[in-house]
Amino acid sequence: MLAVLSRRFEAICREMTNGILRASRSAVIKNARDFSVGILTHDHRLISVEDGLPIHITALDLTTRAVDTLFDDTAEGDAYLNNCPYLGATHHADLDVIVPVFVDGRIMFWALARCHHADMGAPLPTTYLPNAATIYEEGLHFPCVRVEERYISKADIVRIGLTKIRASKIWHGDYQAQLGACRIGEQRLKDLVARHGAGLIENFIEDWMTYGERRTKAAIASLPAGKWSYQTKHDPVPGVAEQGIPVRVTVSVDPEAGEITVDARDNIDCVPGGLNLSEATATASCRIGVFVNLDPTIPHNEGSARCINVLLRDGCVVGRPAYPVGTSVATTNVNDRLINAVACCFAQMGAPHGIAEGGAMMASGMAVVSGVDPLRGDRAYVNQLFVGYSGGPGIHGHDGWLTYNDADTCGMLMLDSIEVDEGMYPILVEQRGVAPDTMGHGRWDGAPAMTGVYGPLAAEMTAIYCSDGDGTPARGVLGGLDGAASRNWKRHADGRWVEMPSFHTEICQPGEALRFVAGGGGGYGDPREREPARVVETVNRGWLSPARAETVYAVKLRRSEDGLDHLLDEAATARLRASTGR
Amino acid sequence: MVRFNVCIDIGGTFTDCVVSDADGRLEIFKVPTTPERFEQGFMDALSQAAKHYSLALPDFLRSCERIVHGTTVSTNALVEGKTVATGFLCNKGHPDILTLREAPRKRCFDFRLDYPTPYVPRQLTAEVGGRIDALGNEYEPLAETDVRAAVERLRRRGVQAIAVCFLWSIVCPTHEVRAREIIREMWPDVPVTLSHELNPIPREYRRAISTAIDASLQPIVSAYTGALCGALAENGFNIDHFLVATCTGGMMPPDAIVAKPIFSVMSGPTLAPVAAQNLATEPDVVVVDMGGTTFDVAAIRDGRLIVSIEAMIGDDMLGIPKVDVRSVGAGGGSIAWADVAGMIRVGPRSAGARPGPACYGLGGEHPTVTDANVLLGLIDPGNFLGGRMRLDRGAAVSAVEALGRTLGLKTIDTALAIHTTSNHNMIAAIEDITVMEGINPRESFLVVGGGAVGCHIGAIARELGITRFMVPRFAAGLSAFGGLISTIKWERATTLFTTADDFALDAVNAALEGMRHEGAAFLERAGLRPDAQRYEQVFFGRYEFQSWEIEVPFETADGLLRVADIEHLTAAFHRLHERKYGVKDEEDRVEFVTWKVRAFGIVEQPLKDGGGVKTVHAVAPEGQRTIFLDGFDRPVEANLHDAEKIRPGGVVEGPAVIADETTTIVIHPESIATADARGNLIVALD
Repeated sequence: MLAVLSRRFEAICREMTNGILRASRSAVIKNARDFSVGILTHDHRLISVEDGLPIHITALDLTTRAVDTLFDDTAEGDAYLNNCPYLGATHHADLDVIVPVFVDGRIMFWALARCHHADMGAPLPTTYLPNAATIYEEGLHFPCVRVEERYISKADIVRIGLTKIRASKIWHGDYQAQLGACRIGEQRLKDLVARHGAGLIENFIEDWMTYGERRTKAAIASLPAGKWSYQTKHDPVPGVAEQGIPVRVTVSVDPEAGEITVDARDNIDCVPGGLNLSEATATASCRIGVFVNLDPTIPHNEGSARCINVLLRDGCVVGRPAYPVGTSVATTNVNDRLINAVACCFAQMGAPHGIAEGGAMMASGMAVVSGVDPLRGDRAYVNQLFVGYSGGPGIHGHDGWLTYNDADTCGMLMLDSIEVDEGMYPILVEQRGVAPDTMGHGRWDGAPAMTGVYGPLAAEMTAIYCSDGDGTPARGVLGGLDGAASRNWKRHADGRWVEMPSFHTEICQPGEALRFVAGGGGGYGDPREREPARVVETVNRGWLSPARAETVYAVKLRRSEDGLDHLLDEAATARLRASTGR
Repeated sequence: MVRFNVCIDIGGTFTDCVVSDADGRLEIFKVPTTPERFEQGFMDALSQAAKHYSLALPDFLRSCERIVHGTTVSTNALVEGKTVATGFLCNKGHPDILTLREAPRKRCFDFRLDYPTPYVPRQLTAEVGGRIDALGNEYEPLAETDVRAAVERLRRRGVQAIAVCFLWSIVCPTHEVRAREIIREMWPDVPVTLSHELNPIPREYRRAISTAIDASLQPIVSAYTGALCGALAENGFNIDHFLVATCTGGMMPPDAIVAKPIFSVMSGPTLAPVAAQNLATEPDVVVVDMGGTTFDVAAIRDGRLIVSIEAMIGDDMLGIPKVDVRSVGAGGGSIAWADVAGMIRVGPRSAGARPGPACYGLGGEHPTVTDANVLLGLIDPGNFLGGRMRLDRGAAVSAVEALGRTLGLKTIDTALAIHTTSNHNMIAAIEDITVMEGINPRESFLVVGGGAVGCHIGAIARELGITRFMVPRFAAGLSAFGGLISTIKWERATTLFTTADDFALDAVNAALEGMRHEGAAFLERAGLRPDAQRYEQVFFGRYEFQSWEIEVPFETADGLLRVADIEHLTAAFHRLHERKYGVKDEEDRVEFVTWKVRAFGIVEQPLKDGGGVKTVHAVAPEGQRTIFLDGFDRPVEANLHDAEKIRPGGVVEGPAVIADETTTIVIHPESIATADARGNLIVALD
């Protein structure tokens, strides 16, 4: 029954997810799938999430709790709107719709849909404001506000969004898709309880949490006991953190108790900008860094989360921010560094443990673009592009995942369809593909970065991006090499390419274009131990130059008779590897 | 004189042929599939049918009104990686569409997996200069020299087909069309698939992958269909009355399938849920079909077939809609083996039709599920296919014994372990699709098919908590039966964007009328008279800025819309949107994107009487046999029954084994089977 019911909950989540995917309007949601849904118990324990984005779903317990704290008259048919990082939300752009699910007059579940809106009415048309030191410089906050009562929408609340948000018609359509998904979830959960009885479902929930805990403890029991530290660094951000933002973490493993402690307290105070984490993202990220090192088939529910002790500090850049500090960029940049730091602590245990750093993200292939579209009746647009992703980390036994994007999404986003982007906004994507030689070489390679070129098709386009990893690329572990750094350029009307700053707003005219190379993933283990056949395959698919095969992997190639393919020169490779001591 | 209707389904192991005669009587014929020359098994089945009716083959074929065909040829080619080497032409700057996909789905937090390789490798992908923009304007002219260079290179690399998919070809196809002209000039014989012709949908990966799959099947399906048509024509059959079942649950004439071979993917298995739809009256039905090679599962929800637009074939989407039938490698021929940790595993590798299970005596050495069933006493080696194929029990014992030594198990325990493991593989597959579709297997009716399924289904039903299931009279050829009784279906879509404020009434009506004429021509060619023709119209609509449409059926008096109908269309859209997604917005603008006409040819049903029977009677057994069952510690004495002798209303209590020419059904203890008026067995579990 455990397996069947857990899959029923997953099926309900899937139906909610599908509803949002199909009914939403902005490309960031319908094209890139930048949203998640979740089901929690009445006392805010997470039940089911397996198909969402890690950063959205790994600390949902903090999010629904705000409703209970703030309201004592929650009733059937209510819906709440929350995007306030000081009330359990991630950052201002992730807007949550929360619905209580009543059974026999009491709350049994919470159904939640969290969607990333490219615009929430910030002073600049973007999600990410690295310079916003306080919430007063961010987008609109809905600090856990009741938006429906008895299933009837409160038009005055909705009007706040319609008034303050750019392209608000699209925002409103997305909000409705979220609400619809929660209502579908509410109905399905009620059906489930009606069919099986509340007692059986309640028993299942306890068993399910225990099962998650048991599986997690078993996985932790197979790790060595000890304490490991790792430090990485976010690139300098002008005016906010001139020296960059170091992130260091200590992970302690107690296999006997089946517990892991993640200590993120030894870090600098909040910075005067939007790169600070919220409590929800800091908590989630410490858990994510652990989860990617455990058996992925473990259910990620309250039971598994409670095996991980997260130690955060008030007023810390990766801790609990002090109101009203800005957290506009709390889900990505510094946050990704935190996840990588936690995950890489495990590599310090030695092979086969741990993973490398994943490519840093947010190059201009992920820019928020805005403007007015003369091709479609001069309508205004604001949208985040998901055109090109960073490469995933190498791990013992496998190369990095190509469409990784970043640590906080773990490859769970979809990649923009170019036709959906171009069909909706006045842009043209000239190029998009794999960037050769950008992977962190290793016994197991990090994934290469993606690269691309795009620009406005008609009228000027503003692009805003926060490209971390231009300075400090993803590092390899256990002898694996670093991934390539990310970079950004602009092509001017005369064809000249000019390199662009990492944190930047650029206005492009038709005929101009932006080019990005996202970050490559770090490698795992010594590249000279990589299986030669894999090296040959990587060369033949165009991801690796023959020169690097020799210099980095000590693999000698020869041409096939027809001259079309590279083949392994086994004897020469054996000699070369012997001479380098491998 | 027309007397017969025929459906032939070619599976991985057996070719099934179901025939109905003028009186509505049905017969099933089963012959081994002949993978080297599929048409041979196809004609063998027809010859066997002709012989049964004491007719020469040409006389029999001349008496056939229609032959419907389900085939495994393209599915097998895809699953076994035996499609032809295919070149892929794409826009310059976009060589990784098939690699990147829409970012493949994986498990959250999981990096312990390899990124899937593309359907067409980079080496066979050629970038071509030229670009159309979203509005259909030429942003950059086609670089014809690039096309020529690409064709040269692909030819040197030995491709046998070329797929062409350019961005926005669905808005302006000139670059794709010109590319094909150049290819034809240089290399007239190579098959070419253009994306805008095959699958005119936006989202480049979905269009590109369907185009690549289609091209890679071209030479195979073309040769296959040509051989079948040739053999049929040679024996005097009118090829116009030969129809191939498609993955969308419809049918196409052979020339259309040759032009768009991707539609033949899973052509046979989609007919199984069609059969179940006809056999069961319950709204939620789970349909399983266990062949020699695969175990196929489908579901019917609220009486309707489930069609998926995101069906997967291996690591890729198919890119076109497909009736949701999922296949796992778990059939009678699935091979049992021990993994490195000494655990028993069954499948996905299959012994196929040749050499087949060890007991076939054709040289198979690996123990299969069928071999285990022989050892367990479930299959009688002397009465397989009505005794036309004798099974070698000794060979089965040796094969199972060898695996038992590796596992440290006694032979009979090894056989039971194979049987049980295979059951669990199938249970997982059933749970997968039912859970995905929100169907509770416990509350569903189960319809089973396949010659091998009867040995397993009792245990599977018990494990899943299913209380009733049906073994149809023609379970051994469920798909073929489905093709025989199925309505002839055809559909055509036209993309024509319009809104309620500014409704393009004339253009929409012209499109609807055109499609209806095409549908009528199809039905007429397939031999359907006007009184047997039905039509259905739907539109695909969305709110402004949405990029997925929902399908909305609508009715009109004479097939054409009037001004007054427009508000009904809009209202129907709001209603459906709310039901599907939990919200509607009546203030919002509704966009009509695509119009579709479906044409149906109603086929005379061979048996029209209902399934129920008024009086029941116990059936006396023919003998006893000792059998071993999943979930029972010791052997069980089972009654033996001959299926032919069980009349409507006949009741058989378990434990029992009911056998006929094409299948063996095991009735577990505490289960009762009752034959309905059509000879189907309804099994109730306590």
